[in-house]
Amino acid sequence: MTDYLLDAQGIVKQFGGLTAVNSVDFAVERRSISSLIGPNGAGKTTFFNMITGLYMPTSGKILFDGQEITGTKPHLVTALGIGRTFQNIRLFAQMTALENVMVGRHSRLKAGLFGILFRLPRVRAEEEAARKHALELLDYVGLGRRRADELSKNLPYGDQRRLEIARALATDPKLLLLDEPTAGMNPNETAELTKLIRRIRDDRGVTVLLIEHDMRVVMGISEKVTVLDHGAKIAEGLPEEVRANEEVIEAYLGRGAAAHGKGGRAAKTA
Amino acid sequence: MNSRIRAGLIGGIFGGLIALVSGGQIAYLAGIIAGAIASQLAVQEEDIPSPLAGARLGMQAGLVAGLLTAIGVLVRGFVINPLVNVSANASALLMLALGGLVMAGVASAVFGAIRGLPQPQSRYGTLLAFGLLAVAYPFIDSYLNLRFMNEVIPVMIFLLMALGLNIVVGYAGLLDLGYAAFFAIGAYTTGMLASPHFGINMPFWIVIWIAAAVAAVFGLILGAPTLPLRGDYLAIVTLGFGEIVPIAVNNLDSFSMNILGFTVINNIDLTGGSKGLNPINRPTFFGYTFEASQPIPWYFLILLIMVVSIFFILRLRNSRLGRAWNAMREDELAASAMGINLVRTKLLAFSMGATFSGFAGAFYGSYISAIFPDAFRFDVSVMLLCMVILGGMGNVTGVILGGLIIQFADRLFLPQFSNLVQQFMQNTDNEVLKEINFASDFRLLLFGLTLVIMMLVRPEGLLPNERRRRELHADDDAAARERQTLFDAETAKEV
Repeated sequence: MTDYLLDAQGIVKQFGGLTAVNSVDFAVERRSISSLIGPNGAGKTTFFNMITGLYMPTSGKILFDGQEITGTKPHLVTALGIGRTFQNIRLFAQMTALENVMVGRHSRLKAGLFGILFRLPRVRAEEEAARKHALELLDYVGLGRRRADELSKNLPYGDQRRLEIARALATDPKLLLLDEPTAGMNPNETAELTKLIRRIRDDRGVTVLLIEHDMRVVMGISEKVTVLDHGAKIAEGLPEEVRANEEVIEAYLGRGAAAHGKGGRAAKTA
Repeated sequence: MNSRIRAGLIGGIFGGLIALVSGGQIAYLAGIIAGAIASQLAVQEEDIPSPLAGARLGMQAGLVAGLLTAIGVLVRGFVINPLVNVSANASALLMLALGGLVMAGVASAVFGAIRGLPQPQSRYGTLLAFGLLAVAYPFIDSYLNLRFMNEVIPVMIFLLMALGLNIVVGYAGLLDLGYAAFFAIGAYTTGMLASPHFGINMPFWIVIWIAAAVAAVFGLILGAPTLPLRGDYLAIVTLGFGEIVPIAVNNLDSFSMNILGFTVINNIDLTGGSKGLNPINRPTFFGYTFEASQPIPWYFLILLIMVVSIFFILRLRNSRLGRAWNAMREDELAASAMGINLVRTKLLAFSMGATFSGFAGAFYGSYISAIFPDAFRFDVSVMLLCMVILGGMGNVTGVILGGLIIQFADRLFLPQFSNLVQQFMQNTDNEVLKEINFASDFRLLLFGLTLVIMMLVRPEGLLPNERRRRELHADDDAAARERQTLFDAETAKEV
């Protein structure tokens, strides 16, 4: 039996009359990099939000690391080991890069009110360790310490994306959810970020699940690709399989294109 | 304009106005204030290599400020006083003006020199200097025969509350319009536990902790229903709470409680209704009883409470909890995704904020020795909010500065200004003008005006918190980098 870190079974999410996600079964293998793709409005981000506890699924259940987390509060999901980034960057704008990462560390720190007010040695050591850890993470994602004290809103766009990843890593995740991490980046930055994502899996053993539109990224690093369209899963498998899937091409480019693609392939084989 | 001269002018406006409106011996104090402000502003922007350079720089600004203060003294003495039929003594006035100037020079040189020290010492030195000024104040007051002590103590009580409100509004970003309610709860707790009203006479040193704890519990009670609310809706609920508490206090003079038809409590007078609780016991300290006629012990007591409060507030700020408050203020959703328990964090903000108000209330009750429901009305909450906004939300130093300005303007400056105007108006025949009383008629107008102007001109407050300042600096850096890149491009082209 395969060892699944995340296992979502029969997930349905309805907003009033609109079904955003329709009975999707979805599993992520431990230490894998998987992608969730699909046209705009396919329900990818809604799916992420259900995993992280921001939305409660209408029906279905989500297992994480063998434990049911359906409808668990977001901060508890984070504490269990799911870290995430957001599609439209949601950094704490008026806080420095370093503070942003230290906030990510929140659920791993134990200082209580009493310890804070009287700054017990334990709390002092914990703060110092958190600070060091945050600086290391800034280095790790390639931001460097020089930028640590800059307000996050003053960072260049690409660095903000990296900072979001550093902040998510600070939560010590077992599963890292990246929502369009390369959106708005140039090819160079995209290539570097792709490398970073692979490093995160290889060095840290973090399982990565990403939503992505850039097909070069998806095809380049994913071991499994799942395609959603109108809230339903229409294809799943190795990147090459999914790329060749007619339903997928149709969802992305329309019916005519699919026929054309078929014709093209037919011509090639002939 | 030269930044030193500008700093001097800003400091001078404070010093000059104080000297102009109050007149008399206060000129020395006005000089110190003007010099300190001017010096702090002048050295803020630049890197100071040595104490000597700092002293020189500070003094340049300080002397400008001192000059304005001296002008204030002279105008008051030679122009205004004769108009309101007070005789002027030329030599005494000249001495006073000179005194103001010298004081401004000395104060600015001292603060400038401290600023010139290397980093950690410089910060501690500035703190120490302001601390010494605070400790020395009662003696300066009695030496100059100012008789401001009875005004200074309420000012400190309000400062303490503003610092507590800053936790809720500045750190956690929760707009609280009913903060005075916790002040009332702290004061009434003290009134019930340390007065002949119930015959319970607990010592002040225990009651103040109980009052803070009760206020904290009420902070939780207010916090609970506001959990799902944000922004405007939150403000409306807190406004309601702020109105409920004084009304409840007013009506709790005949409190009965029935549970399932059984009378559990029958007609107890909890709060004394509109008559209030009077008297309340005064603190005693190893046999010494604090008396209303002796303000100096009270001053040091509230100073001590304030120092301890600031110490704890700064610890809260630089901790896991402080970061969680800031993160929640910036983006609740992202904060929760980073593992922050929003319910807990919000409730803690409300109850920690309320705690400091509870301290203030307990002190107030014992100091005034009586409390009435009228003392905790909506305008107290608004005044506190003004103090926080004027100084700079989220910055302890800024809140203290904003609080000092608003409180002194309200309690000392406006009444004296209004006296002066009234004396002027006695010479006119117009009955309406004779009746004008600036302190009572224009007080709220002036605060409203301050808020409007601040929001338009400098929404971040007089002393923006370090983040915002860093933000400005970061912009400079970015501009510098851009210039550098352009320069590189140009040279590259030439090669």
